[in-house]
Amino acid sequence: MNMLSPLTMVQPTLTRAETAALVALAARKVAPLWPLQSAIAVNPLSGFEELPFDQALAEGAAAFGARPGLPLADWRALVAAGRIERGAVQRAAIARLGGASAALTPIGPDVSPWDLLMARLFDLPVADQPSAPAHPAAAWVAKWCAAFFDQGQAASAMPGRDLGLYRAVLALLPHDRQWHALAGAQAARLIDVVPRDPLEALAEALEALGADADAAERLLAAWVLRLPGWAGHLRWREAHAEAGDVAGAPATMADLIALWALVDRAGIAAPEAPPAPAADPAELAAWFKLTQDQCGAGWASIEAVAAMTPGELGQVFMAAAETAWRDALVPDLASAVRQGPLAETPDAQLVFCIDVRSEPFRRALEAQGNFATLGYAGFFGLPIARQGHRGDRRQRLLPVLLAPQVIVEEAPPPLQVQQREALAGAASGWFAAVKQGLGSAFATAEASGWLAGATMALRTFVPRRAGLAAPQQGAPQLDHDHGGFALADRIGAAALLLRMTGLGTQTARLVVITGHGGAAVNNPYAAALDCGACGGHRGGFNARVLAAICNDPAVRAGLAEQGLALPADTLFIAGEHNTTTDVVTLFDGDQLPASHRDDLARLRAALDRAALANRQVRALALGRSADDLITGSCHWGEVRPEWGLTGNAGFIVGPRWLTRQLDLGGRAFLHSYDPAQDADGSTLAMILTAPMVVAQWINCQYLFSTIDNRVWGAGDKTTHNPVGRIGVVQGNGGDLCVGLPRQSLFDDDGLPRHVPQRLLTVVHAPFDRVAGVIAAHPILARLFGGGWVQLVVIEPGTGKARRWARDAEMG
Amino acid sequence: MTDPNFADLVLHQLKKIEVIVRAEDQRVIEDLLGSAGLGGWTLIRDVAGLGHGGFHQGRTIFNDQSGLVMFVAVGEPAPVADVARGLARVFRNLPGVTFLSDVAVLRSDYFATVRPNA
Repeated sequence: MNMLSPLTMVQPTLTRAETAALVALAARKVAPLWPLQSAIAVNPLSGFEELPFDQALAEGAAAFGARPGLPLADWRALVAAGRIERGAVQRAAIARLGGASAALTPIGPDVSPWDLLMARLFDLPVADQPSAPAHPAAAWVAKWCAAFFDQGQAASAMPGRDLGLYRAVLALLPHDRQWHALAGAQAARLIDVVPRDPLEALAEALEALGADADAAERLLAAWVLRLPGWAGHLRWREAHAEAGDVAGAPATMADLIALWALVDRAGIAAPEAPPAPAADPAELAAWFKLTQDQCGAGWASIEAVAAMTPGELGQVFMAAAETAWRDALVPDLASAVRQGPLAETPDAQLVFCIDVRSEPFRRALEAQGNFATLGYAGFFGLPIARQGHRGDRRQRLLPVLLAPQVIVEEAPPPLQVQQREALAGAASGWFAAVKQGLGSAFATAEASGWLAGATMALRTFVPRRAGLAAPQQGAPQLDHDHGGFALADRIGAAALLLRMTGLGTQTARLVVITGHGGAAVNNPYAAALDCGACGGHRGGFNARVLAAICNDPAVRAGLAEQGLALPADTLFIAGEHNTTTDVVTLFDGDQLPASHRDDLARLRAALDRAALANRQVRALALGRSADDLITGSCHWGEVRPEWGLTGNAGFIVGPRWLTRQLDLGGRAFLHSYDPAQDADGSTLAMILTAPMVVAQWINCQYLFSTIDNRVWGAGDKTTHNPVGRIGVVQGNGGDLCVGLPRQSLFDDDGLPRHVPQRLLTVVHAPFDRVAGVIAAHPILARLFGGGWVQLVVIEPGTGKARRWARDAEMG
Repeated sequence: MTDPNFADLVLHQLKKIEVIVRAEDQRVIEDLLGSAGLGGWTLIRDVAGLGHGGFHQGRTIFNDQSGLVMFVAVGEPAPVADVARGLARVFRNLPGVTFLSDVAVLRSDYFATVRPNA
């Protein structure tokens, strides 16, 4: 039915500024979406984080048109496969029903509410939440977004981009048949009368659609959420893009949703969302051969259990997974606390990123010799951006919570390499141009097809010889001021490392600052395997900068003045852990003095042994050989070079001796922390309000990408199409994918490899200190109090563990 | 201004608006000021203070979106009133405070309203 609003002029009641305020609020319903070259994990429900988790999940799923939980069939399969204990689900079901008393009170012969719930969880057939139908105009809006935001992939650019998205599209709509077909002849004329300013167009549309103040907020948010991928791209452009990324094509969220306002004013109606399926109480009773008469007052329990949605049932399984992980982990940690630290004088100390993939490698390395490892946010506290030596785009090598303060230039490689890069770049650019050119495309295919075929065969059958490999990052240009760092800032960065990790002044002869990155080719999601703390880039560059800073005599003198005098024979060196192959590259080893060369040789040998050991363990999880992981890192057809951060479930803040005896299976972020060096809690506050927040984003990205991979993930990799060099779409158009691809989360047999569960944070610190930090930081009260992150605090000395309850009290 | 101390100066009467919000909400206020036609403002980061929710202080070494920020903007009465109306809507959803006051400036052209490109 066409609900066309009048074409006559209306006088908006909202001012331009009021409209801008409402749009800015509505925009926060979606998370920023970073381009592929710097993929950053975000919580797709970040716009709902003010709400408790359960409520946010229900409201967010309805708003996104997503499934509110993993399908029950998948949960049942995980239990059948032994990935979740049935007993844990039984206990979670009792907790869901309000405790043993309420759960086990009989409502009929040998039947309790718990029996009802278990039957729904495991036995009764259940209809999953049906997918919400796409809006009929979604493909149309997405088409214009793809054309407007293209960053050079298209052979010819959309005209009029300098006008802004909304005005540029309006200018072309008279020639757009799709618009006329969608809107109909009369409504299509709207484009002649609507304001050209997107904010004024929105104010007028809200008036024309009869939206009062409350309705206006809901409607604007609904428009933002209709294409969350493109809306997320706009949020990135507005808040995080470099000026050069968006030059010549200005666009705001108001531009995007002014197009949706046009759609609504044209009467193109949104489809109704399907209702959540629920079980019939009579059918549930019949499963136990009960009738309503037999149950009496107990019938209310049957109705309550029958009314539980698939999402609510899924949350019982999720609670079971979370509780099982917590109950297995916390007693071991508490026991380690009671035993206390082991005295150690390591031959070398290696500082790794907190990334969950560091944990198994650290364990493998520690098994090879007298090495101590520490965990620290992988940008190593350096607020830097990297400027490539060819003047290409700056890379922000820091968490998105921070703005860069220092631009560190990349040192130019040898002239021969520069010439080779220039030649390859020119050839690649020329080939792309002729391949896409209207007049040259077919001739190019004819002329070069044989070469492409040969290259394809080479890449397929002998990938290690095909010359494909992830591009290498250059070295930082480190002159006397280390790329622009003031001496005070250099001393500050070094001191931060020593204090935040608890490393202090007890340093070994060698301290290795170890960044990390993945290795994948022909993979739009390659950056998702790199370091999130480095803005979705590899971490070796930051490691090299910090190692140089820590070796600077002026910095060492400054540290000594702060009471952080390091032993004179301590030298810092940088490394990078390739998480796909487990090879650790050590940089600038040739610059070490002769006194430390034997130390370095022993370390290199240990790293090689650890790499092989860890690769073998990881290969088992991938169902392949260890050697095949090396091949996968350079094979253009590889869809799963590694499991990434799949399985992430914990964030542990404490010294390494707390976890050293445990096999955490690559599931925990480990941030080193010494409570004895942090009396005022300032270090703990930094850890919890920054690295833990980033870990929570990662955890939520994996969680939501798994429970609805179509809406909150990215679907199957094999049908991806990169668009505009900014993201991928499924098939030939539509919204940008906002999360992770299916191959990153699911085994080939369809079973989830990642069990959706919320992050468990364990802090080794005095209770009062933790409580004080939470009270002073609203974001922590929100995450812990709202159930987005579970918190357990383990008291130093006694090992007494307490869980942070949702009412923000220890219990 | 009638104060004889300023008699030899040519001063222009304008309005000042100060806004203190969470750093994570900075963008909302920027959009509001820009759309009202205010061509510039001062932003003070990492503002600390005691409020309804206790003492607020950011930990900006690792996260410059924690803590509070303060905007100071000066302009003609109409756009400043427009900002205030927008803020009234913003503060229904977000925490924050605003102060409005009369100010005198020497160079009024610095505070001229910027018209949007409609």
